[in-house]
Amino acid sequence: MAVADFVITLLTFVAIYSLFGLGLNLKFGFTGLIDFGHVAYFMIGAYVTVVLTMPAGPAGYGGIGGFALPALFGALGPLGSFLGWVLGVAGGMAAAALVSLAVGIPTLRLREDYLAITALGIATILTTVVNDEEWLFNGPFGINTVHAPLRDVFPVGLGDFTLNMAVFGVLSLAAFGLLGYWIARVFRRRGRRGRAVLGVLVPLVAVWYFVLPTLSGGTVELTRNALWLFDPTAGPEGGMDYDRFVLLLSLAALAGGYWLVERTINSPYGRVLRAIREDEDVPRALGKETFRYKIQALMLGSALAGAAGALWAINIGFIAPDQFAATITFYAFTAVIVGGTANNRGVILGTAFFWGVRNGTRFIDVPSQYSIQLAAARLMLIGVVLMLVLYYRPEGLLGEQEYEIPLPSRDGSGGTDDV
Amino acid sequence: MVSAGLLDATVQGLITGAVIAGGALGLSLIYDIAEVPNFAHGDMITVGAYLALVFNNPAAIPFLPAFGSVPFALAAVLGVALAGGLGAAYELAIFRKFRHRDADLITMVIVSLGLALVLRNAVLFLVGSKNIQYRTQSVVTTDFDFLLTRGGVTVVTTQRRAGELVTTGEWGYPWWLVVAGLLAAVGVGYAIFALYREEEDFTTVYLVPPRILGAAGSVATVLLVGAFVRLGPQGTDYVLGTRIGLNVKHITILAVVVAAMFVLNVLLKTTDLGRAMRATADNTDLAEVRGVDADRVQLVVWVVAAMLAALAGILTGWFATNLTPNMGFALLLPIFAAVILGGISSPYGAVAGAMIIGLSMDVGVYLIPGSSTYRVAIAFVILIGVLLVRPDGIWGDV
Repeated sequence: MAVADFVITLLTFVAIYSLFGLGLNLKFGFTGLIDFGHVAYFMIGAYVTVVLTMPAGPAGYGGIGGFALPALFGALGPLGSFLGWVLGVAGGMAAAALVSLAVGIPTLRLREDYLAITALGIATILTTVVNDEEWLFNGPFGINTVHAPLRDVFPVGLGDFTLNMAVFGVLSLAAFGLLGYWIARVFRRRGRRGRAVLGVLVPLVAVWYFVLPTLSGGTVELTRNALWLFDPTAGPEGGMDYDRFVLLLSLAALAGGYWLVERTINSPYGRVLRAIREDEDVPRALGKETFRYKIQALMLGSALAGAAGALWAINIGFIAPDQFAATITFYAFTAVIVGGTANNRGVILGTAFFWGVRNGTRFIDVPSQYSIQLAAARLMLIGVVLMLVLYYRPEGLLGEQEYEIPLPSRDGSGGTDDV
Repeated sequence: MVSAGLLDATVQGLITGAVIAGGALGLSLIYDIAEVPNFAHGDMITVGAYLALVFNNPAAIPFLPAFGSVPFALAAVLGVALAGGLGAAYELAIFRKFRHRDADLITMVIVSLGLALVLRNAVLFLVGSKNIQYRTQSVVTTDFDFLLTRGGVTVVTTQRRAGELVTTGEWGYPWWLVVAGLLAAVGVGYAIFALYREEEDFTTVYLVPPRILGAAGSVATVLLVGAFVRLGPQGTDYVLGTRIGLNVKHITILAVVVAAMFVLNVLLKTTDLGRAMRATADNTDLAEVRGVDADRVQLVVWVVAAMLAALAGILTGWFATNLTPNMGFALLLPIFAAVILGGISSPYGAVAGAMIIGLSMDVGVYLIPGSSTYRVAIAFVILIGVLLVRPDGIWGDV
């Protein structure tokens, strides 16, 4: 497996869980709601989308559905079928938002620690229900007939090996160029410490991605890594395979979610959310219906988790209740806190760190009988990092982000909400 | 042939409640005095169970030399003691530092989550994920069949020995004795209550509240009369019959948890340290002004809580007959439910909450057919129902 393939798998994970984390950050970072049941909306989004989009009555499935939305719109061609899938995702997001509305109305009145525990309890109950009621979504056997949007279009090619390689190669190199430009911009803005970190990390990653594979696999590996969008083994002429499409789709969804959350928290509406986090009595004294704001933040965050669930389903191709354990929520909390609470870029950074540690350690060679030990060791490492970050850098690696409309701070200089 | 009924579900519920109560005692202590909703408590339960395993069955742990095995009871004591040391270690290394920084409640929750991650994966790292068991003698369950006949109550006890069902005893209580026994129980209970109650003012601190002592007296009377005044069987042609399965494990767990509750209560209410703990729970600043060493109090709290967690873990592992790295986290939700339900401020409240949760789990599963996988869900529905009416728990935030 080329390094590019591993990076594509990892980045898809990071994109999906970042979207999930953005939803959590909206609840926890910006509004101050500790939703320990966040994974439930991930699960609901995944299940509802899959059931809405898969064909009716597949073999080995005894639950509700499927409603075959893509097949319904399939008459309009591949784009119609994609539209059907998008409608399915919208249905999944709506279902997640509605369930969080039902959960939020009773629990948001509780004090924060009771909210955390009841949310965890409700999420556990929902997972149990999905696991035990086979008439609902096939119970513990899960669903393996996940509709993959535009699956039969891929691998996409232009008909000729050289042409494919040239077109996708140029696109890949353009993506690297954009990344380099972005890193350079960040580098210029950061202080001395940020520059030192980037100055060490970026060359290391570049060596790992470009130089090491070249040393072991020659120029073939180098080409495969540099022209990452082009997969020479996909079909006789090569082309872009489905994994790369899922990555692009996840990145697009992440970009959309990021834009949505940024717009939300930078608006006057978002300022009210932040005010609720700081001290709920203040916006209430100013006549704001804080309960309604909290419910809406909860629903929007849950809808984002639902969208992440839909992407997770097509990425894995099989969903079952045991994929949605409560630990997923805790991992997302870790990612948000390590990256920087109330910082959307921090969420992405934290998620990349978390999944980089979890999946990147597969390159460490250990005998297979110690695989449990390796898995346990990296989770211990993550737990320790979480506590160290909370102690030495409670605001996270990036700290709280800056807002277009800051809360009035004591010195009147604007900037972040930190006092 | 008599089948198990509501009464058996109730007894099982009490045992489940006792197991939960073991964890709830420690959690409520931390919640109240250290003000940490400790999500690592569940994993401390797991760690405690495995610490006893180190002494009781070292052969089951891959990297340990098989140095033989100590009896289960001794291993339990050693495990609890070691767990206390571990509790001191993480209080000193983690929670004290965050407390000195005035970390808020949410930060403490997340810190405890991090600790939970470390503890659980330490168990996975060292032991692996396979199911292992303590080395104990196998326990024989005795089935008590209670038959209501025209003449009174007949009790038949049966045991399964080498695959055969053997009747080990048969006796009965005529109706007059049943009525007399119940009357005596009520009388004894009320007498204790009336004699023990004092003129109350705000300084009155009962070691055991008179109402609880009275109820305990009633239960004890019923058990004593039932155990010692056994008359002849009252026939087996019964109108109503029910079966209760009991064994030594059930009795031991109930007894150990009640004893732990009592010891904790004595510690809190009769010693200077306990007074300091209660004062810290009420108002840390005020307590420090009066010369209470808050750090010392917190250290004791975390040590005692860790020991109670280990005790709960050992009982759970023994009761469920196997240990898994997830056993404690699975118990965490019912324990939290019990603590919130019972109010976080007293060991009795925590035990009462745990009993309500345990009873609702087992009786609920008995009453609603096909709901056996929803045991925890039933407990949570009750908790959420209570919180809807009283958002701060039954007794409120004290």
